[in-house]
Amino acid sequence: MSEPLVTTPLRERAQAALGDRFLHEALDIATTKFIGLRREAFSGFPQGEALRDRARAIKEATLQRLDHHLERLVDNVERLGGHVHFATTADEARDIIVAIARRTGARMAVKSKSMATEEIHLNDALAAAGVTPVETDLGEYIIQLAHERPSHIIAPAIHKTRGQVAELFTRELGREAPPDPEVLTRIAREELREKFLQADLGITGANFAVAETGTVVLVTNEGNGRMVTSLPRVHVAVMGVEKVVPSMTDLMVFLGVLAKSATGQKLSVYTTLVQGPRRPAELEGPEELHLVLLDNGRIAQIAGTLREALACLRCGACLNVCPVYREIGGHAYGYTYPGPIGILLTAMLNGPRSVKELSHASSLCGACADACPVRIDIPRMLVELRKEVAERGIAPRRERVVFAMLARVLAHPALYRLAVRMVRMAQRALLREGRAPRLAFLGEWTRTRDLPVAAARSFQERWAALERDGR
Amino acid sequence: MTTRAEFVARIRGEMARAAALFPAAPAERPARPRERLDVLRRELSERWPQTLDRFRVEFERVGGVFHRVASAAEVPALLERLCRERHARSVVTWAAPALGVDVAPALEAAGIGVETMPHGVPQDAERERLRERVARADVGVTGADLAIGETGTLVLRAAAGRPRTTSLLPPCHVAVFDRGALVETLEQVGIALEAWHDGPPAPGRGAVINFITGPSRTADIELTLTRGVHGPKEVHAVFVDEGLRVTDGE
Repeated sequence: MSEPLVTTPLRERAQAALGDRFLHEALDIATTKFIGLRREAFSGFPQGEALRDRARAIKEATLQRLDHHLERLVDNVERLGGHVHFATTADEARDIIVAIARRTGARMAVKSKSMATEEIHLNDALAAAGVTPVETDLGEYIIQLAHERPSHIIAPAIHKTRGQVAELFTRELGREAPPDPEVLTRIAREELREKFLQADLGITGANFAVAETGTVVLVTNEGNGRMVTSLPRVHVAVMGVEKVVPSMTDLMVFLGVLAKSATGQKLSVYTTLVQGPRRPAELEGPEELHLVLLDNGRIAQIAGTLREALACLRCGACLNVCPVYREIGGHAYGYTYPGPIGILLTAMLNGPRSVKELSHASSLCGACADACPVRIDIPRMLVELRKEVAERGIAPRRERVVFAMLARVLAHPALYRLAVRMVRMAQRALLREGRAPRLAFLGEWTRTRDLPVAAARSFQERWAALERDGR
Repeated sequence: MTTRAEFVARIRGEMARAAALFPAAPAERPARPRERLDVLRRELSERWPQTLDRFRVEFERVGGVFHRVASAAEVPALLERLCRERHARSVVTWAAPALGVDVAPALEAAGIGVETMPHGVPQDAERERLRERVARADVGVTGADLAIGETGTLVLRAAAGRPRTTSLLPPCHVAVFDRGALVETLEQVGIALEAWHDGPPAPGRGAVINFITGPSRTADIELTLTRGVHGPKEVHAVFVDEGLRVTDGE
């Protein structure tokens, strides 16, 4: 298991988020903006729908020959002078990276935003080994200074106000910082520029890796990905095995949908294709390049219920459209990956027990599947997860008993009719002003909503009456 | 530690138990990418004015500043003006053979310090000095291998004399290109990339290809768009009508 199980109930975490007025407003503004930008990007791009289908087909095709493509990738990265490492668990990935840092005598590591390194909680391991990790994506830098965790896959600090950031900079950097994004950004540029030039180690994730050419691909807007892969002596890229794509032709299909889905840009500002360490003719670039291929629960899903989630590009589009995410934000999910896809990835990384509650944190409205650039059927897998949670006895006993009874009643018409009559009789005595009362044993359920009232005549009864009257 | 053999064996094991979700194939690649690229270039050369118009619209949309000059001889004067307007005192540039134009004499005559990136790889001390110079420079001048109409993107391949940080560290980046760089779509870029990777890399080739779509940007504080967070705050594209004589390209 890669992450410790979150033990506070989801309900409490969600409650805290719902009570945070700024968070609520920030989420609303951010997600609404992202939705609009995405819609605009695709509306001016008629071939977008076909491209999404192609992107999805490439992901599935790659998975069908994953062994072949990964072996090609490894061969080609090594041919270019890079080193490839294989990490089955998060622990192992951390050990590999810490060993590289130790061997090269690194004191400081600059990092470009990477969910894979978040997922393996790399920063703690580096710090414990005496290597100072410095997040260089502005949002990640802010939350690192604040000792927090990202709340959105692509906008990690959307939960912070400019005032909070100014206070944070003033306190942590010891320099006067006004609540002006322009000035705050310039301060971060100055602080981080020095770090880029000093750091021994550059650590990145990878949005893709091209098997046929041995290319690691990074997509950023700020340019920190370029800094991290150009200035330090050693570059380490950490990548989930599912990110491999066969060829450059395939890569261009993904680049055509990724930024449009994430931020509504046609392309992100920088797409950086890294093909091994610095070549002999080059003035700059790292002397060493390491690619850490990460399993951490992914490989087991090749034949698992979450196979489809292996197509995820980490664009964040499903977060923005999710009615649950939009209310509670990323932190309430409790794990590295928030939002609808995050629930699936959490289950993939940490097992079904970790999503006992989270698998229900969805209205199954399907907005996520519509927004997904590779059309991952997230609701289907959420239902599968709920089933698994119930069947494996992870769900609470009371819930299992109630649903087992319900299943029995629904499957037997006679039993169903009897149950309806009983409910109607019972409620006649209890109804107040036509509304169902709050029942103590349904406390949580009825605290914020009304128990539905059974109709005076059921549909079946009315249908039967119509039949009798000859319609 | 997990070995490659163990790792791949586990993947094979899972693949053997897995059912495909649907029949699927990767994108079809050109069989002879270099020839395909030659054909494409010929096609594109017949409609480059439209591609240039589209590039300009998209490049300006992402915050780039577009310039057009008649000939390479006009490039140094344009650079000098850009420097003067920005009170820029220091310029770093790709070498003249990589750029297709020698910009140093005119700029130096105007009192602007110019550091030209060497074609060979100097000793460590000199490399360190150059890195300092690039990090402190006001303007970086490069060429561009491709200019993509669909997205307003410049594509730069690192190589000898064409280092990657010229377009990254200075706050103002100026890229000079001509009609030979214009392509229309990302799909066409795919053909170029396939062709560039067909066969072993040329000896002078670098390890990085960068796609640059406008100035560096972030919206990480309250979604307020801010330019120049790590990379350049300004990106200029200079189109040269009569063409550039790049003598060390492929």
